[in-house]
Amino acid sequence: MLLHSAMSPEPAATNPLREGLSSRALPAPCTIVIFGATGDLTHRKLIPALYNIAADGELPPGTAVVGFARRDKSSEGFRSELEAANREHSRQGHQDPVWAEYARHIHYHRSEFEDPEGYRTLGEQLAAIEARRGGPGNRLFYLACAPEYFRPILARIAEAGLNRAPNGGWARVIVEKPFGTDLPSAQRLNAELAATFPEHETYRIDHYLGKETAQNLMVLRFGNAIFEPLWNNRFIDHVQITCSETLGMEGGRGAYYDASGALRDMVQNHLLQLLSLVAMEPPVDLSADGVRDAKINVFRSLRPLVGPEAVARNVVRAQYTAGSIDGRGVPGYREEDRVRPDSMTEPYVALRLHLDNWRWEGVPFYIRMGKRLPKKATEISVHFRKAPGVLFNRMHVEMRENVLVMRIQPDEGISLRMISKIPGANLRMEPVKMDFHYRTSFGKASPEAYERLLLDAMSGDATLFARRDEVETAWRFIDEIEHAWHETAAPPPMAQYPAGSWGPAEADALLAGDGRIWRRL
Amino acid sequence: MATPDILGLEVPIGAIEARLRKLWEADQASTKASLINFAVYSESPDALAANTALLAEITRDHSCRALLIGARLDHPDSNARAWITAHCHLAGGRKSVCSEQIAFQLDGKAIGRIRNVVFAHLESDLPVVLWWQGEFSRIFEPRLLGLVDRLIFDSATWGDFAAQYRMFAEALRLLPDRLAVHDLEWTRTYQLRLALAALFDDPAAAARLPDIAQVRIAHHPKHRIAALYLAAWLAERLGWQGGLVLGNLDLRNGSRALRVELAPAESASGPIAALELTTEDAACFAVERDPGTPYYRTRSGPCASPHRGLSPADPDSLVRLVSAQLERAGTNTLFRRILPVFTRLAGTESA
Repeated sequence: MLLHSAMSPEPAATNPLREGLSSRALPAPCTIVIFGATGDLTHRKLIPALYNIAADGELPPGTAVVGFARRDKSSEGFRSELEAANREHSRQGHQDPVWAEYARHIHYHRSEFEDPEGYRTLGEQLAAIEARRGGPGNRLFYLACAPEYFRPILARIAEAGLNRAPNGGWARVIVEKPFGTDLPSAQRLNAELAATFPEHETYRIDHYLGKETAQNLMVLRFGNAIFEPLWNNRFIDHVQITCSETLGMEGGRGAYYDASGALRDMVQNHLLQLLSLVAMEPPVDLSADGVRDAKINVFRSLRPLVGPEAVARNVVRAQYTAGSIDGRGVPGYREEDRVRPDSMTEPYVALRLHLDNWRWEGVPFYIRMGKRLPKKATEISVHFRKAPGVLFNRMHVEMRENVLVMRIQPDEGISLRMISKIPGANLRMEPVKMDFHYRTSFGKASPEAYERLLLDAMSGDATLFARRDEVETAWRFIDEIEHAWHETAAPPPMAQYPAGSWGPAEADALLAGDGRIWRRL
Repeated sequence: MATPDILGLEVPIGAIEARLRKLWEADQASTKASLINFAVYSESPDALAANTALLAEITRDHSCRALLIGARLDHPDSNARAWITAHCHLAGGRKSVCSEQIAFQLDGKAIGRIRNVVFAHLESDLPVVLWWQGEFSRIFEPRLLGLVDRLIFDSATWGDFAAQYRMFAEALRLLPDRLAVHDLEWTRTYQLRLALAALFDDPAAAARLPDIAQVRIAHHPKHRIAALYLAAWLAERLGWQGGLVLGNLDLRNGSRALRVELAPAESASGPIAALELTTEDAACFAVERDPGTPYYRTRSGPCASPHRGLSPADPDSLVRLVSAQLERAGTNTLFRRILPVFTRLAGTESA
């Protein structure tokens, strides 16, 4: 017997029992179809994230998962593989009864991504699951496969009519990056998405936005009265956004990375998203479009870097040469597995950006992202203007500025550098740091970014997902740089740095020319 | 009084802060952290040692300045003593993060100095959470509570519920709304309420709420109050009218008389073994817990072939219960809102 077959067909009712229990939007029961279900993302992130949601009691009853992939296997075999992966990757460990209940609703569907028959039979499977569950036929399609399959999958979904959810339900799609490789390909992808799903049902996932500290950026700025009055060009000298990785091209990543590079792989999405959160105006409200409207205005304010000279003045690209990480020798970028020996792809990029708007006129934003740097860290540092050169500062010409640092990962937290007097009869001053660590202050581990983002998608909350115009505007900016690098007669040079160092001298010179230095992490 | 080693170093009350500073100066390897002032008051004889052990666990998840107060109201002598220690845990397997603890033993007339002695040692600017253990006494008065942001107590430990509840209700009447109050007996039903509420997230299920005709709550014999809280919550949220009539719960869901059963269940491993709502046409919405399991089983839909699920159970241990309450924070206005209905159902109006 079906869940809702005994229910009266009355209009939608609200749930009075929820009041006072939960402040977040509620996820609705749905069927999650994962394309590329045998891949790494599914095993390491998606299934453990859904399991953790279930273990927290937040997975709506009847929520089902259908893994769609090309390999031949049974649902039973698929569940066994996922169980092993969950034991390894679940944030809160693995409880057999919770897994058993959750896994009951996991199914496998074998098909080629291009085969219309596979989508017809998927439709039958979805209908059967929805009939058992009852209620609206909510469907969440997750494209966790290689991007070249996005187009045929979307086309087949539309042909089979799977994007039209039955019984008043919704059909949504989650797309993993890359959202194209340049503006034309992003526009094509967005057009294909728009032909199958309306924009408000399209969720472009950027897992950086699901991180606790990224979400805390808005709370810090707009939940505290002390920061916003200072958050402008009168008080802020410049902003740095750093993403450093110790990893190189291990695990066969060279092939993908060498076709992409740091600018397209990280800056176009993650780091520009962080920039938008730091630089945006207060949104009119906390709705998805309220926040995204505020973010898109930041992208629109980005001063374009047109032509090789402008790019050479403001952007440094570099490749690492052989060096050492954690005391062990590592090869140079061009010697890495599956990287072309004559590659002109950049595993390091540093940029100086300007936002042409009222708030940020004259304030440079420096962004750097690199592989094979000395430590793994992502952070945003806001460097305030120095105090006037009178009184104490008259005596100390090299007085350092106040810096507010928001650490995104690892060791999430916030610190503020201030100047303080060193004890003693002499007047000597040094910087001191007020430091807040999430892990120290809150003993409980934060949910994984994918948990939050999956719940949001099930709840219809797109605030932490990128909108079409954000993606395309970011690509428009990035494409100018890529064009100068790869399609001009006199492209800006490719710098070099030894693996294990903090990047090329040219990147230091980029700031030194402005009388600034990179923050030492 | 014998001094258990667990309390740490005995210090003169006037030198507490100085000695704490000295303690940290001697330990450069650890980090002191504090998000709240957590005061724990008890009139039980061995409470300081027992609560120190509890704090050693609670501080794993909640960095705080702990202020333990052991009071012996009828002690013939007037004494005030203090001890300091710290609870340190490895955070992320690396850093040693420590919470300070100051324990006070206040005897006889010294208990009158509680506000001065204890609350002079708060970490400034941080919220004050007071966990009052056991029954309220004459010390429980509005001037003391005026210093507090959050009050935690446990009505399951009360011998004379009606008398204690009246004291609580009277104090609540005099205190500002900003004071968040938490009865751990209500906290014990939190996950159960979440699980039941989740069954009605589907609008079609929510549309059946007016059709509910029967309520069954199976509770541990020591936790009838938790069952009454649940009944009050349902009545307040769903607009059920009525109260306690001749010892029975007499409630109406619109024009329909509700059959309400509060049944003791000896084998329940938690306070509530089952909460089941049934409609006239046999649709069931139930949350049940099998003994010894860490989760609730849920049923929803036709009673004969319901949809089934699992949801986390409410914590059984006192440490986890208090930790869960500290973690949720919030103003707990829902609890205040159900109290008038609870008062009617528990029959404490006329007690």
